[in-house]
Amino acid sequence: MKYIFSLLIIISLWSCDKSVSETVIEPYAPAKVDETAGSWKTFILTNSTEVIVPALNSDAEYKKEVDSLKSMVLTADQKAAVQYWGAGAVLRWNEIARELAARYNIPPAANAAGVYPVPNAADPLADPKFPFANPPYTARALAYLSVAQYDALVSAWKYKYQYNRPAPYVLDNSIKPLLPTSTLPSYPSEDAVVAQASYVILLAMFPGEGPFLAAKLAEAKNVPVWAKINVASDVTAGANLGAAVAAKVMARAKTDGMSTSNNQAIVPDLIAHAKSIGLSILWASQESPVRPPMLPNYGAVKTWNFDLATLESIRPVMPYLPGSEAFNKDLAELQTINKSQTREQAAIANYWADGPGSYTPPGHWHRYACEAGVDAKYSEVRMARMLAYVGTALMDAGIACWETKYFYYSPRPQQFGLKTSVGLPNFPSYTSGHSTFSYAAASVLAGFFPDRANTFMANAQQASDSRVYGLIHFRVDCTMGGKHGKAIGDFAVQRAKTDGAN
Amino acid sequence: MKKIFILLFCLLGFIELKAQMPHDGIYMNKKLACGALIYGNSSWTNYWENGLKRDNPNLGRLTTQSATAMVAYGITRDINVMAMIPYVKTDASQGNLMGQQGLQDVSVFVKTKTKAFHGVTAHGVVGFSVPVTNYVPDFMPMSIGLGTKSLLVRGMLTYALPSHLYLNSSIAYQARSKVTVDRDAYLGASTLYQSNQVSVPDAFDAAIRLGYLKKDNQLEIFAEHFSCTKGDDIRRNDMPFLTNDMTMTTVGIYGKYQPKKIGVNAKIAYVVDGQNVGQSTSISVGVLYQFKIK
Repeated sequence: MKYIFSLLIIISLWSCDKSVSETVIEPYAPAKVDETAGSWKTFILTNSTEVIVPALNSDAEYKKEVDSLKSMVLTADQKAAVQYWGAGAVLRWNEIARELAARYNIPPAANAAGVYPVPNAADPLADPKFPFANPPYTARALAYLSVAQYDALVSAWKYKYQYNRPAPYVLDNSIKPLLPTSTLPSYPSEDAVVAQASYVILLAMFPGEGPFLAAKLAEAKNVPVWAKINVASDVTAGANLGAAVAAKVMARAKTDGMSTSNNQAIVPDLIAHAKSIGLSILWASQESPVRPPMLPNYGAVKTWNFDLATLESIRPVMPYLPGSEAFNKDLAELQTINKSQTREQAAIANYWADGPGSYTPPGHWHRYACEAGVDAKYSEVRMARMLAYVGTALMDAGIACWETKYFYYSPRPQQFGLKTSVGLPNFPSYTSGHSTFSYAAASVLAGFFPDRANTFMANAQQASDSRVYGLIHFRVDCTMGGKHGKAIGDFAVQRAKTDGAN
Repeated sequence: MKKIFILLFCLLGFIELKAQMPHDGIYMNKKLACGALIYGNSSWTNYWENGLKRDNPNLGRLTTQSATAMVAYGITRDINVMAMIPYVKTDASQGNLMGQQGLQDVSVFVKTKTKAFHGVTAHGVVGFSVPVTNYVPDFMPMSIGLGTKSLLVRGMLTYALPSHLYLNSSIAYQARSKVTVDRDAYLGASTLYQSNQVSVPDAFDAAIRLGYLKKDNQLEIFAEHFSCTKGDDIRRNDMPFLTNDMTMTTVGIYGKYQPKKIGVNAKIAYVVDGQNVGQSTSISVGVLYQFKIK
C-alpha cells in the first residue's frame, strides 16, 4: 500500500508542471534613439511632413497633463500591460499580426456539392472565414503592416524633433516612468502612432477581427500614459498621425492587384502557355474534390523593390522535364526519403513546415527579424525600417515565386507516387515558395545584421532543404527558388542602402 | 482505513489502453506469469471535427495497426504487475499523407485488490507510460502516439453475481506531461504559442463491464467513456492537434479462452459518439501463454 501512496504523490508532482515556456521579451532602452530618422526615405509618403501633426498645446496645458500622471495608480493588469507593450509596439503588433495569420490560415472546406466556396470579405466570419491567410496573403499583410509602421514612425520622428517636447519625466523629475527611458522627445507618441497605423492595416487585412483589434488598440494607447512616458495629447496626436499614414498605405494596397489574385479565369491560358513552352506533364491538384489552384494571378500583384521588367528578367529558367536524367536524379532522391526518411529529416521538415494553422514562412521570418531587432536593441523606428525591408522582400518573393510557379505550371512529386510528411500545398511545384521566401528574408537580415549573416543563410538553406525532406518539392525547385529569393532580397538591401538611415 | 483506500481509488482515475488487462478484475496467482502477443486494428472514415461529423476524401480510411507484447506477473495473489509495449503503424487509404510507424510507449501497471464488503472487491491500479522512441507526435492523425509521459490511477469495483457473472465499474485519471515538438510555434485555442512545448490535457475515463468468468474463460460486454479535462477543438477544416479536448464513448465485447497454458483473447470495440476523434472500429486478437516463474 505504501508504494501506491508514493506513486500517488509522484503523480501529483508530475502533473503540476504543465506550463509552456515562452521567451519573455523585456522592455529595453534602445541602443540609439535615431535622432535623424525624420529624414529617412519612406515607402509611401513622399516626405515625412506629408501628414500634418498640429502644433503643441501651451506649456501650461502640458504641465497640467504631466501633473495628472502623478496621482495615477495602476492595477496589476495595467502593470502587466505596461510590461507587455513596453517590449516594443512594432514588435507586439507584428506578433499580433502573426497570431491572426495563424488563426486564418486554413484552406476552405468543400461544400456538399464538392465545391470550395471562396472566402467573402464582406462576411468574414462565415464558413469559410475571410481571409484564407496563406503564405502570399500573410506576406502581403505583414509587408503593409511594417511599411505603414515605418512611414508613420519616420513622420513621427520628424515631428518629435521639430516640436521637441520633453518627456513628462524630463519636465518633472518627480515622475518615475515604469519603462526604460531615452532622450527621445515625446510628441507625438510613437506607441500611439504604431498602434493606430497597425490597427488600420490589420482591420483591413482581417476584417472579422474588429472587436479583438479594438481591444488591443485601446490597451496599446493607454500604456504610454500608464507608464508615464506620454500624456494624453501625445497619444491623440500619434493616433491621428498613424491613422492618416495607414490610410495612404491602404490606398496602395487596394490597388496593388490583390483583388484579382485569385482570378481562376486565367488558368486555361496559364496551362496553354506552359504547354507551349514545352512542359510535358503539368501540375494537377492532388486534392479530392479537385481544388482550384491557390492565387493563380498573385504573380501580377505590384512589387515593392523592383519593377515588372525586372520580375520577368530574374525569373528562374525553365526546369528540367520529367524523364530527363536530371529529373530522374532528383526523383530518386525523393524516393529514397519516401522509403527511409530519417528522424532528423522529419524534424527539419516539421520545423519549417509552417503549414495550415501556422503563421506561414513569411511569419516565421518576421519572427526571426523581430528577435534580431530586439537583440540589437533597435529603436522603434529602426525596428520598423528593418521589418519593412524584410516584409517587402518577402512579399516580392511571394509575387515573383507565384509568377514563376504559374509560368511553368510544373508537377508536384506526388504526381509521381510520393507521399508527404508535412502536407501538400495546392499549387504548382517549381519553384519552392519556402526557398524563395527564406532566401529573400535571410539576405535582407544578413544585410542588417552582418555578423549573423551565416546563421540566417544557413537557416534559409535548411528551410529550403525542408521541402525536399518533407517530399513536396524536387531539389531543383529549392535550389532555383533559393537563388531567386537571394536576388529578390538583394533589391531590398540595395534600397535600404539609399534611404539615409546608415 | 480500507474504506478510505477504496474511496480514494474510486475517485482517482486512469486511461485508455491497448490491452485490457489492467482494467479487469482478474489476477495471476503468485509467481504465475502470462505473456501475450496482441494484434490490433483500429480504423475510421468518419471523424468529429469539433462537433461536426464528417469524412475526408484526402484521408479515406485511417487505419492504425498495432502489435503489442505484454507480460503480467503475480507478485502475490492480490498484487499483479503488468508491462506492455506496442509497435504501431498508421496508414491512410487515400490522399498523400505518409504513414508513420514505430515502437510507441512502454507502460507498466501495478494492480491490487482487497475485499470491500459482501461480494464486492475493490481494486486499485497505478501505472505509467513513457515513449520509447522519438516519434513525431503532432503529425496528426498519422502520428503513432501523443508523445506524452503519463501517470495513471484507476479505481475499480467488481461485483460477483450469481452464475459466474460479474459487474465491473471503474473510473480512472491520467496525468499527461507536456510534449516537445519539432515546430517552434503553434496555435492552442486561438492563442499563438511561440514555443516547442505543448501542454497536453489530462484525461479521465469511466467504464462499466458485464461479463461471465469461469476459470480462465471470459466473455464480457463493456461501455467506456473517455474525455480530456480541458482542451481546444479542431478548427474548421484543420487537422487535429495535441491540445484538442478528445472525447469518445465506446462500446464493445471482449472474450478470452484459455483451456490450458495457451489461450487466446479477442476484442471488438466501436466508438458511438465523440468529439475531436475518429469514429473508430477496433478489433484485437491475442495469443496468451501462462507460465510459472520459480
